[in-house]
Amino acid sequence: MELVDKIIKGERAAIAKAITLVESSKDTDQQISRQLISELIKKPGKSIRVGFSGPPGVGKSTFIESFGSYLVSQNYKLGILAIDPSSQITGGSILGDKTRMVEISKNPNTFIRSTPSRGTLGGISMGTREASIILDAAGYDFIFIETVGVGQSEIVASNLVDIFTLIVGPGSGDELQGIKKGITEYADIFIVNKNDGELKMEASKTAADYKSALSYYKKLDELEKQVLLVSAIEQTGMVDVIKTINQIIDQNKLKGIFDERRADQLEYWIQEEVKNIIASDITKRLTSKGNIPKYSEKVMKNEISMYEAVETITKDTLKQ
Amino acid sequence: MTKKSNNGFNTWQKSFEKETKKNFSDAISETDEGINIKPVYTKEDMENFSFVEKNSLPGQWPYTRGPKASMYTNRPWTIRQYAGFSTAEESNEFYKKNLESGQKGLSVAFDLPTHRGYDSDDDLVMGDVGKAGVAIDTVEDMKILFNNIPLDQMSVSMTMNGAVLPVLASFIVAGEEQGVDRSLLSGTIQNDILKEFMVRNTYIYPPEPSMKIVADIIEFTSKEMPKFNSISISGYHMQEAGADNVLELAYTLADGMEYVRAAMSKGLDVDDFAPRLSFFFAIGTDFFMEIAKLRAARTLWAKIMKDFGAKNERSLILRTHCQTSGVSLTEKDPYNNIIRTSYEALSAILGGTQSLHTNSFDEAIALPTDESARIARNTQLILQNETGVTKTVDPLAGSYFVENLTEELSKKTWDIITEIEELGGMTKAVKAGIPKLKIEESATKKQAKVDSGSRVVVGVNKYKNPKEPSVDVRVIDNNRVRDDQIKKIHAIKESRNTKAVEKALTNLTNAAKDETNLLIPCIEAIKLRATVGEVSKALEQVYGRHFAKSLSVSGVYGKHFEGDKEFMKVESKIKEFENVNGRRPRVLVVKMGQDGHDRGAKIVATSFADMGFDVDMGPLFQSPKDVAKDAIENDVHAIGVSTLAAGHKTLVPELMKGLKEIDPKSKIIVFVGGIIPEQDYEFLYENNVSAIFGPGSNIIESAEKVIDLISDNLSKE
Ligand code: B12
Ligand SMILES: Nc1nc2c(ncn2[C@@H]2O[C@H](COP(=O)(O)OP(=O)(O)OP(=O)(O)O)[C@@H](O)[C@H]2O)c(=O)[nH]1
Ligand SMILES: [Mg+2]
Repeated sequence: MELVDKIIKGERAAIAKAITLVESSKDTDQQISRQLISELIKKPGKSIRVGFSGPPGVGKSTFIESFGSYLVSQNYKLGILAIDPSSQITGGSILGDKTRMVEISKNPNTFIRSTPSRGTLGGISMGTREASIILDAAGYDFIFIETVGVGQSEIVASNLVDIFTLIVGPGSGDELQGIKKGITEYADIFIVNKNDGELKMEASKTAADYKSALSYYKKLDELEKQVLLVSAIEQTGMVDVIKTINQIIDQNKLKGIFDERRADQLEYWIQEEVKNIIASDITKRLTSKGNIPKYSEKVMKNEISMYEAVETITKDTLKQ
Repeated sequence: MTKKSNNGFNTWQKSFEKETKKNFSDAISETDEGINIKPVYTKEDMENFSFVEKNSLPGQWPYTRGPKASMYTNRPWTIRQYAGFSTAEESNEFYKKNLESGQKGLSVAFDLPTHRGYDSDDDLVMGDVGKAGVAIDTVEDMKILFNNIPLDQMSVSMTMNGAVLPVLASFIVAGEEQGVDRSLLSGTIQNDILKEFMVRNTYIYPPEPSMKIVADIIEFTSKEMPKFNSISISGYHMQEAGADNVLELAYTLADGMEYVRAAMSKGLDVDDFAPRLSFFFAIGTDFFMEIAKLRAARTLWAKIMKDFGAKNERSLILRTHCQTSGVSLTEKDPYNNIIRTSYEALSAILGGTQSLHTNSFDEAIALPTDESARIARNTQLILQNETGVTKTVDPLAGSYFVENLTEELSKKTWDIITEIEELGGMTKAVKAGIPKLKIEESATKKQAKVDSGSRVVVGVNKYKNPKEPSVDVRVIDNNRVRDDQIKKIHAIKESRNTKAVEKALTNLTNAAKDETNLLIPCIEAIKLRATVGEVSKALEQVYGRHFAKSLSVSGVYGKHFEGDKEFMKVESKIKEFENVNGRRPRVLVVKMGQDGHDRGAKIVATSFADMGFDVDMGPLFQSPKDVAKDAIENDVHAIGVSTLAAGHKTLVPELMKGLKEIDPKSKIIVFVGGIIPEQDYEFLYENNVSAIFGPGSNIIESAEKVIDLISDNLSKE
């Protein structure tokens, strides 16, 4: 494919077009997209994929601007996939990430793409995984994926990356109660942002809360999880972040965890793809047969019970 | 209420209902501010006031009726026209002509590079030099600007906020070199940074150091420049950005409180500086509301300052400049604007302003020509000399309606001020972006009302002129201005004592690290011929440059059009597009160069999103090259350039070039909106612009055209 060569050469417009393809809901685009990804996957680059998740307004974009500036100043090439949560129910979206990444978006060593999340659960949009494969093939050293942390999104997001980072704000210790059970499993690094000005004390306290909660949940064979204090606005703490990322990557590579994760993620991906295909197939069959309105009418008329209807429809749909 | 008057009212109400075939309660209308306007007001509407004092007199507490006892009967308001363009030489000529023709005070409009602290030779400002104001790079320019204008006699107002330090320093030094001691300088420096973060967008540094600079200026002028107003606390720009009158008034007074606190924190006594605080409001088309606003402003400020412990009566009194509303003026059928401006001017006078700017009828086309400026000035001269409005002070006092409106407006305003204070004051609110968002919401509602026709704008959405007149336009050759300025900068840099300048700039940088009043080292640097850009950079080293984080409203425009046929037509075109193309149409809306007019861009972005477009919103001050990169990486279908400060002829071709540089086969189409004189259409089309949307464009119609153009373009595979 011509597109493949152009991507590997790092042509900006080709990368962008390829991402459009993998995000497209059009059948023909999806076919080309599959072909494209199959080719690209054979030519993996060297990217490290880092996920940044956290509640709305905690400073993810600002942090990426700040941390990203630091990385590009060290001559790294940086690809950013920002999943913008500001989508509406009926209308389109306003994608405002670029107003928060003014400096890095100017740098020739960055590629920044925003995607409306379209309200999909998890804040991960269709095509994010594929987009990161494209950026990897195009030679980016780091790929950042920004997602809003709501509900199940951490799990989905963490399944796309080599390192998963949760960004929290000062005074979020209270929320800790609610999320602590899950987070230790998904997140590798915890970043407490806004460690500046009046918020400094609160930020330190929050970091301490996280540390103690994490040590409590730590499994025996696990590494100590890192809690880092940064200020995205004042650009402090950035060296620690990159050090920690490198450390974890090195260690994971050494222990084989790095490849193990990627293998797990591939499994998960295959499973998801299969599920998706089955689901859309089933949906098609369901609608074409028109069983649902037919049987629900029967339920309404008390001719059969709800569960009888479910069972009958299921059987009928699954039989070829 | 006595029985008799009650009977009278009932009779009136019956007649009213008979005449109108409406219930009285249905005849009550609601203003943008959420104030109910009744078809009639009576004595009863003057009861239970908590702000307005019915028996007060002009020049007396709470100053509702005016800051002075005699007002215009003694001396009419000052005709102060805001102007500036091109080089200092040309602006100086223009000022002198105006003063000969009856203008009384000067008001300097600087160009955008000066506002943002860049010298004319900076690459970032290529398209902006001298375009929307006068370019000032050094004190030499400032001296030329006031050539043959004696600064000990002429009061000079300067709209300068971001680069307030080097510009005020240049003014002081220019005075000195004219032989005028700074203590004799009179006039006003705007120096109101909070509203820059909200709506005007010519900030340089982040909020905290910016507030420190404001306080430095208040401190310095209060000690050394007794005839100079240290600040002009401005609501004007908020209304122009879309705020209703309550938002304008509340945010302005709340800003004022913040400045008082900032000055007091420097150890000044409130009475040391408060008499030199001044205000600035917009006067829009809502005739009585605007009058009530000025009366309410004075009433509330007196109360606020008393609470701050002011003892000097002059500290309690709000003095204000006003400008008629530019945003009420239209590109279509532009002579209508003369009429609009006249009514607005009358409103400002009945409200008791101290000075006034009246806009020119070509407001929505370009900077005023000599001819249009003359008509604008004459609007005021006629009011002063022919109408008799100067003969009686506060002639509307005692009007049931106006007094009631003054009270209602005061109440609503006070509620918002209280809310802001409870949240920790305006600086905090501004940093969180809340006031900006509220103003944008209000602006979006207004746009929806005009686009749907529920608000009539003569010549735009009703009573259109079938034969649009074509008008002369002031053209500024910014390449020539830029070349001239660069030559001057070079000459100065060659003749000055470089070592001394460097030392002065280092001193300034060091001073920014502690509590020193920064105007003092600034004056030193400027005296030695440091440039505005150099001074700004010396401070930037310590403070950094501020980048605004932009939030957007959503759903406000769409809500107004629920069930609207035209709106739904665009929505369904977009759905259709998505089915065919596998994604929604995607448009990048951008502002390039130093143009900070973001009202139109923000409104278009949110409305387009409500209709179903995916809209990428670029930050302010992008370079064409950065826009090209953004557009290509996000693979947008189209770029919508919003341009109001006349940079389009430089910036749009650069953008086209930028796109082709990254992707020679780029199919991204470009359309342009904003202030584009008809004379430039040809040029833009020749540069492959697909469509142009001027002021007054209906957004739904524009959106339909955009989606059609995008579809056409895609089908040309
Ligand atoms: C409001 C206004 C302001 C506000 C801006 C508030 C804000 N945050 O936007 C304030 C008071 C702060 C302001 C300040 C200045 N202003 Co001003 N301002 C105006 C004014 C009166 C109205 C503009 C406006 O917002 N209209 C309402 C919006 C909704 O309309 P719009 O932007 O035109 O958008 C519509 C269409 O054009 C189109 N459109 C626009 N963009 C796009 C994009 C797309 C994609 C699409 C499809 C359509 C589209 O659709 C919109 C809906 O109809 C105009 C004059 C006028 N009447 O137009 C002067 C004007 C633009 N300002 C002018 C100047 C000079 C300034 C200053 C530079 C003055 C100075 N020297 O200090 C400052 C600096 C501001 C800055 N940072 O850049 C000049 C520019 C001169 C020129 N072009 O030659 C003008 C033309 C007035 C004049 N004749 O002198 N200003
Ligand atoms: N004090 C302080 N404020 C910050 C910092 N980082 C971000 N902010 C502010 O927090 C707000 C939100 O920042 P964003 O970067 O947009 O946050 P986000 O998490 O990307 O937000 P969404 O994408 O909307 O979920 C902005 O007003 C920032 O200025 C920081 O380090 N310190
Ligand atoms: Mg974000």
